[in-house]
Amino acid sequence: MPAEGSTRWFPPAADSQAETGDQVNSCVAVSWAITLACRLALSMQAGKQWRHGGLSLPAAGGSIPAAQTPQGKRETKREPMPKHSVLVVGAGIAGMRAALAASERGSDVALISKVHPLRTHGGTSQGGINAALHAEDRADLHAMDTVKGGDYLGDQDVVELLTGAAPRAVIALDHWGVPFNRDAHGRLDARRLCGATRPRACFVDDMTGHATLQVLYEQVLKAGIRAYEEWVVTRLLLDDGACVGVVAIELASGAVEAFAANAVVLATGGCARVYEPTGAAYGVAGDGVALAYRAGAPLMDMEMVQFHPLGIRGSGMILTEALLGLGGHLVNGGGERFTLKYAPTLGERAPRDIVARAAEEEIVSGRAEFVALDLRHLKGDEVKRQLPLTSHIVKTQAGVDPAKETVPVRPVAHRTMGGIHVSRDGATGVTGLYATGGCAATGVHGANALGGNWLLEALVFGERAGLAAAQQGPGSARAVDAQLEDERRRIAEIVDRSTGPERAGAIRSELGRLMRRHVGPLRDASGLQEAANEIHDLGARHRRAGITNKGRRYNYELIAFLELESLLTVGGVIAAAAGFREESRGAHLRQDRPARDDARWLVHTLSSFRPDGPAMTSKPVVITGWKPEGRRY
Amino acid sequence: MQATLKVYRHDPDAGGKPTFQPYPLELPEDATVLDGLVKIREELDGTLAFRASCNRGFCGECTLRINRGGRLACMTRVASARTKEGEVTVEPIRNVRVLKDLVYDVDQLLWQKIKAVEPWLQPTVSQPEREHVLSDEQLRPVRNAMRCYYCGLCDEGCSVIPFDNTFLGPAALTKAYRFVSDPRDGARAHRLRAIGEPRGMWDCVHCFEADEHCPRGIDPTHRIMDLRDAAVGMGIKSGTRNPQVARHYDSFAASVKTSGWLDEGRLALETWGVRRIFDLLPVAWRALRRGKLPTPYRHPKRPGAERISRIFEKVERRSP
Repeated sequence: MPAEGSTRWFPPAADSQAETGDQVNSCVAVSWAITLACRLALSMQAGKQWRHGGLSLPAAGGSIPAAQTPQGKRETKREPMPKHSVLVVGAGIAGMRAALAASERGSDVALISKVHPLRTHGGTSQGGINAALHAEDRADLHAMDTVKGGDYLGDQDVVELLTGAAPRAVIALDHWGVPFNRDAHGRLDARRLCGATRPRACFVDDMTGHATLQVLYEQVLKAGIRAYEEWVVTRLLLDDGACVGVVAIELASGAVEAFAANAVVLATGGCARVYEPTGAAYGVAGDGVALAYRAGAPLMDMEMVQFHPLGIRGSGMILTEALLGLGGHLVNGGGERFTLKYAPTLGERAPRDIVARAAEEEIVSGRAEFVALDLRHLKGDEVKRQLPLTSHIVKTQAGVDPAKETVPVRPVAHRTMGGIHVSRDGATGVTGLYATGGCAATGVHGANALGGNWLLEALVFGERAGLAAAQQGPGSARAVDAQLEDERRRIAEIVDRSTGPERAGAIRSELGRLMRRHVGPLRDASGLQEAANEIHDLGARHRRAGITNKGRRYNYELIAFLELESLLTVGGVIAAAAGFREESRGAHLRQDRPARDDARWLVHTLSSFRPDGPAMTSKPVVITGWKPEGRRY
Repeated sequence: MQATLKVYRHDPDAGGKPTFQPYPLELPEDATVLDGLVKIREELDGTLAFRASCNRGFCGECTLRINRGGRLACMTRVASARTKEGEVTVEPIRNVRVLKDLVYDVDQLLWQKIKAVEPWLQPTVSQPEREHVLSDEQLRPVRNAMRCYYCGLCDEGCSVIPFDNTFLGPAALTKAYRFVSDPRDGARAHRLRAIGEPRGMWDCVHCFEADEHCPRGIDPTHRIMDLRDAAVGMGIKSGTRNPQVARHYDSFAASVKTSGWLDEGRLALETWGVRRIFDLLPVAWRALRRGKLPTPYRHPKRPGAERISRIFEKVERRSP
């Protein structure tokens, strides 16, 4: 009985499948069935011995099935108060880069993040990383483009530092494993992004950020850096004006705990979620900015908010600017390429602020909802080859076939040039507190950031902040317990508060639309004043509101409530700073002051916390070589 | 647009059985399922738990089962997903431990397994001052594998994981492939030996479900087959860290090579050895009583066994 002898372990379904299929299928099915049957047989017969022989998973062999306890992995063993030399808040590209730098210095460093590191916002960055690596390019050309792109508000010494460090930063990524596209000679290829005079952005298809994020996370794992995932930082621990740690709430359990550290590095990302619609991730809620601000660190250039011209869909989703770099056209209702009115030479390839402003003005003057992105004259396979993800997104999300129709787009809030005022080493105005990435303002972007400089800034200044934080000596942590108890009381009070009709979600939505209307790409004094007043009222409503979710486990309503507090703070500062700067520059367009005013306003704005609203001061821009001149593209 | 989201609700703290709660919503025409979930949490029911991050199909955080298919909530339009009755069912993906409502244990499903494949580049030569000079062609497979956004849908569809959730699974093996295919990595042999252990690449039953499920078109099953090809090509035997495992594979192959069938009696003897085989006596006794105990080494050849033999010889000649 040979046939039965060999098939008797088989489940009947697999057996019949083997008989009915054609030759290839039956081969596959038989081997499938054999393997499955043998696995079953062996695990039944001698599971124990076999388990010892296999791959061991990090959480000690065999613990994966055993982890099915109701409490879950995170609630098992935790030390009373975790202590680290450096605690990096936010595990995105800047945060992980900072953590790696501190770890290389031998520092005991940990990451703490609202989401898993691979889910952070930098992963959506598509275009590339700017670095003057090619023979015909130089760091000073890169610096010049950056300064001019930022409408001369960039601090030129910091810009030169950035562009000089760029080649090394990109090559370090190549050695860590980022699979950058290569040119015909096997060297790093570069694409030309808007506002650049040379092809300069090193890229990985259209997933540069995604690849960079993965590789940094790989290095974090290699370095054995601890990551507290799904912990939301709600407060900075302060001792005698110095930051000595944070208080955070764990999503899985609702536990509120303190983390002590010699240095805290904020890398929480920008605050574009204060707008609706926005292309920013849900977590980009300005928490780090608000925390530092309330702790006494001044914020810089908060009025500078970048709007991305290629927003699609109601809830906000951004198509990569590389579509314009490839030669895509923006046309208005009359079929006119309107960007040529604003930038006669570069057209759609002008910097984002100009293209976004052009699109916004066309929309307002034409009383339209969208302008049209026209890709029909491009070779379809070129878009598909260079931007495989994008061509898929256009089809499924914009709901149109770009080869046949135009794509409706409009400017949506993208990123914030402003943030926590930091030195070139990430130091804020508070001892022991550093900031880097989207939440910090180093002064490189000025009034408008160029595509390809965002990731670069996160890498270069992330590293510098990490190195500086690693050298921070231990602070005292005397009042930690009292502050922890205070924070626990505050959060318990929010949860226990009885809820009236007021919902935080409605306030957030109103705030977002208000910001878009009055503090958007087009602004004027009366609108900004109205926005400031309304944000004040929304703040009062927020203080009266409560939450309906009283549970501890994954209480996202509580987190959204706490985030809204940050958003209201940040929104108020943006409106105040925009009212303060009485000129138009880069992304900040005051319709009542349409000209750039270098005599008065070649300065950064600084906003400092006061209980009754931000106190505004200013600080001169550092000019090394490039004198402000007219901005023609 | 009217739609009713029927959402999976379960709070392990409260106990009780999971339920589907219907939420009728008025949504804009281009709203996604994630927009709907946000609206529920903000306006109707603050107790609903779900994860979301980038809202543009890049991060994989909002992977859910929508109308019985694994999808990203942020990339699924309600208008196209809803049934004729205007309903959309939303639940966690299968084969996961639910932590609350739509939040499930990704650590167990994915992150722990990815950490098990030494997921970092181990470079051969390092010239820190310049990039590796490589043809773009060489890096294309790496980029293809790195399109993965760790949604876990390949592991969800996997045929092996429901039987043995310690199997590395297609996502982690694709991560291993990312390094094995990288010309800058110097640890190929080491990696292939590691994932050649039980729970690794040879446990894949090539059912191709992973390829069906992958929203990025990475074809994880094919990547696993590429890994196997690479191992065979480099002469790396499976189970090199455990003689018992190696004996099992050798015996399996030898049996099929000689008779074309699997000789289970021989497999047991050669794998366990004469002394250890006594541990299996209870199983053998039960099998004997049911007339299912094969006699070792007395297997008749199946028709065409010679051709099977020749395939083996051909492969053996090819590998070093």
